[in-house]
Amino acid sequence: MKPLRFPLALAPPLVRRLGLADIVILCLVGGVIATVVTFAREFEAPFHEAVRIDLRPAALPRYTLYSLTRGVLALLISYVFALSYGWAAAKSRAAERLLLPLLDILQSIPVLGFLPGLVLGLVALFPTRNVGLELAAILMIFTAQAWNLAFSFYNSLKSLPEPLSDACKVAGWPPRRTLWQLEVPAAAQGLVWNGMLSMAGGWFFLMVNEAFRLGDHDYRLPGIGSYMSVALDQGNVPAMALAVVAMTVMIVAVDQLVWRPLVVWVEKFRLDETAGGAPAASSWVLDFLRRARLPRRLAVWLRTARRVTRSFEGPLRAAGPVILRGPRVALASPITRTAAAVLVGAAIVAAAAGGLWQLVRLLAPLGWREWRDLAVSGALTFARVMGAVTLSTAWALPAGVAIGRSPRLAQTLQPVIQVVASFPAPMLFPIVVFLFERAGVGLGWGAVALMVLAGQWYVLFNVISAVAAIPEQLKDAATMFRLAPLARWRALYLPAAFPALVTGWVTAAGGAWNGSIVAEYIEAGGHLRMTRGLGSLISDATAHANFPLLAGGIALMSLIVVGWNRVVWRSLMTWAQTRFGLGT
Amino acid sequence: MTGNALLLDAQHVTQRFRLPNGQLLEALRDVSLTVREHEVVALVGPSGCGKSTLLRLFAGLARPAEGAVLYRGHPLEGVLGAAAMVFQSFALLPWFTVAQNVAMGLDARGVHSGAQRDAVARAINLVGLEGFEQAYPKELSGGMKQRVGFARALAVAPEILLMDEPFGSLDPLTAETLRSQVVDLWRDPATGVNTLVVVSHSVEEAVFLAGRIVVFGSNPGHVREELVNPLPYPRQERSPEFEAMVDRLHGILTATLLPEPVAAAPQRLVPFPRVHVSEVVGLLDHLLTRPGGKGAVFELAEDLGVDYDRMSAVVRGAEQLGWVTTPGEIVVLTPAGRELMAMDDAARKDATRARLSRQPLFARLIAMLKEEGTVDDEEALADLTIYFPFIPADSLFQTIIEWGRYAELLEHKPDVGRLALLASPEGAPELRPE
Repeated sequence: MKPLRFPLALAPPLVRRLGLADIVILCLVGGVIATVVTFAREFEAPFHEAVRIDLRPAALPRYTLYSLTRGVLALLISYVFALSYGWAAAKSRAAERLLLPLLDILQSIPVLGFLPGLVLGLVALFPTRNVGLELAAILMIFTAQAWNLAFSFYNSLKSLPEPLSDACKVAGWPPRRTLWQLEVPAAAQGLVWNGMLSMAGGWFFLMVNEAFRLGDHDYRLPGIGSYMSVALDQGNVPAMALAVVAMTVMIVAVDQLVWRPLVVWVEKFRLDETAGGAPAASSWVLDFLRRARLPRRLAVWLRTARRVTRSFEGPLRAAGPVILRGPRVALASPITRTAAAVLVGAAIVAAAAGGLWQLVRLLAPLGWREWRDLAVSGALTFARVMGAVTLSTAWALPAGVAIGRSPRLAQTLQPVIQVVASFPAPMLFPIVVFLFERAGVGLGWGAVALMVLAGQWYVLFNVISAVAAIPEQLKDAATMFRLAPLARWRALYLPAAFPALVTGWVTAAGGAWNGSIVAEYIEAGGHLRMTRGLGSLISDATAHANFPLLAGGIALMSLIVVGWNRVVWRSLMTWAQTRFGLGT
Repeated sequence: MTGNALLLDAQHVTQRFRLPNGQLLEALRDVSLTVREHEVVALVGPSGCGKSTLLRLFAGLARPAEGAVLYRGHPLEGVLGAAAMVFQSFALLPWFTVAQNVAMGLDARGVHSGAQRDAVARAINLVGLEGFEQAYPKELSGGMKQRVGFARALAVAPEILLMDEPFGSLDPLTAETLRSQVVDLWRDPATGVNTLVVVSHSVEEAVFLAGRIVVFGSNPGHVREELVNPLPYPRQERSPEFEAMVDRLHGILTATLLPEPVAAAPQRLVPFPRVHVSEVVGLLDHLLTRPGGKGAVFELAEDLGVDYDRMSAVVRGAEQLGWVTTPGEIVVLTPAGRELMAMDDAARKDATRARLSRQPLFARLIAMLKEEGTVDDEEALADLTIYFPFIPADSLFQTIIEWGRYAELLEHKPDVGRLALLASPEGAPELRPE
């Protein structure tokens, strides 16, 4: 028998005393609970269209927490949506045929397209309480977060190696266990990275989501976005600056406290075992948490609790299938299956026809003049979007190559850029516009610059990661054969970055289209600046509750975005992949 | 052994898949095969002969398009609970520890947590992984990972162990060790495993493991022959009986892979095997070094370090171009082949061009090109799909382009997706279909 080194009472890790980390965790949990409670009270508050926003600095932390809570709730809903939508699309070929194109369209609809329906519907549903408006705001944030998450989950389900799912089937795992122990872990990396992007995307329309005008109603919810818009209206420069600072603090805090630890943690769920060359990322928060004892104790308690509840699971499980088995038995025969498929198909066709009919009816009041106006505005904004994409490329391509070439630079700058990129550009728009006005540039041209702010980061990110992924040996070869700097660009960096650049363009153009809505129509310091374009047309239609025009504008914008994606970007992307893809 | 109970019974099974390009691939056609209790059955054959597909059907992971799979006389409903499976790619969950991976199948079999711990410990013990219980798969070597794969299968004490090329991605040394351990596990009554079905790529492996070897043919997959292997266990790989059995199986496989040329109409289109120019030249080069310029396919495969069905594909390619002949299972360099090897590069290309223009498939394409000037890729692909519905047209097309380019016969522009004739094939008789 082996001699025991320590007295037993000291050794096991489970009985160590609580440390600093545990106290911090307790404080954090308490803070979260307190926030949720105050937020819930806000939910229950009697309904006011426009809450008075307190511009004193002391009120700002509370507003920031409100906005953050909305963003987090929306993200949680987005995850639930993404898991179910992605799962359905990946598992059923029939669903896939419907859901994928639908996702493409939903992705291209700017948030203002959902705004009137959500607000009017939910406010009507809860006429006396704030819940309706709050839910509308949360769902609007959701519409900016959900789609790429769903795509990401769908893609990772589709690319799951077959032997792994076979192994789970042979092991006799029920679908639910396969979902939580195989499919979600395998998708975890994509879900976390896309969650980061989604969160940033959700902030983009924060000002619109929290403070907007719909016809003669002025809706406002307490939050950092409405704080900013009130400060803008009053031309209160210190308050504006404070809001920008608060927003930055929030983004950095969320990045450090939530995303970085998550990113490091999900490394565990990589399917391919190659380390990827990059040094392992680290997160001080995660290291700190790993030192904490409380979670481990909690796990032990939970396990004990589970063991206790397990005895109740049997009867519950016996009761469940009775409800579930009915349809399953019914669907076993091919005749009922065909009948069900026909019914579902008919329902979808009917719903689509109904939707189209509604849209046509909504668009009917639009006369020839309005349509011409829409077309001209569309063309103007289209030109601005293309200009913004060109400008973004002009600076982000060289910068991205420079950063991607040097691993050290990439490592130090990446987190900084990430934070900067999550900052909602519309909050900076008024400042930029003000600078432009000083320089004598009108909003017609200025809007292009604002749209650059909305789209440039996607180009930069994609170029950096593509250049960083160039195999070391190719770079060595370029050095060995003494390629001159220009030749090196032409022969190596540009071709290698090109496929990623196209991907960047797709997203940047999407961001610019979205941005046009706030860039072409800016209210600040009590007066309105606008320039002709599809974005300002949509904003104006919302403000005047001109629903036919709004529907026309949104439909036109979605049509242009989806059409351009399908025709131009997609073929460009295929070409770039086959011609310049590094994977042979 | 025929008196033992019938475990698995595939009756006239046909299976089809739809390829991403929409082509329908028939993986198995009318296959009937039984597995009895306490048998070790090996499924061998060229890649794409559907042997893994049949294994998945036995496991209940897929349903046949036609025919039925029975277990003890009852048709399979879903996954076969009496079986466990070992995968070529290990299929371990990277976020599970070794112990968690091994325990994967126990919940569904209603094993409770105390008994689970025992089963896991026992299985880990059987494959010699003690001490690695808390390791993650990424910390283990390939051989260790496959031990986890075996432990996971053994933990559920399966009646039937299905193995899909279980040693395929291991180095030869590790594979040999694990192979003899599998035989030991099967012979050991304590494991509960009494029937093995193994898909194998290696003739020696099949002879080492199996009591019955089923040889598959491809396009579409079908059973060519069943061979009983009466050698007593444990088998000695260097014994003359063992080698005789290996030779016999090689003979059968060669007959499967290199069918005697049918003296049919010369215009009959045959698919060109998907081999590279360098491989064929390498084969001829190697044959030159051998006495009499000949050798058996499996010897050549061994000498050149390529697997058996790759080698036979290369031989078929060389044969279609008239550079080797294959009487029986021996590959012999022809005078034309010797001549080719004596040539310089340019002359070699000319000779290849002349030979290719006589190969019916190329001849047909050349005729098409002469008539139309250029041919779009899609047109050519569609044509290939019609003539060879069971061969992925893309890869056949890539092979045609490679050979055409090498011989300076065809010009292909991938950007526009168009084929054109580069040179007029000299000395080629005008071959016009219809």
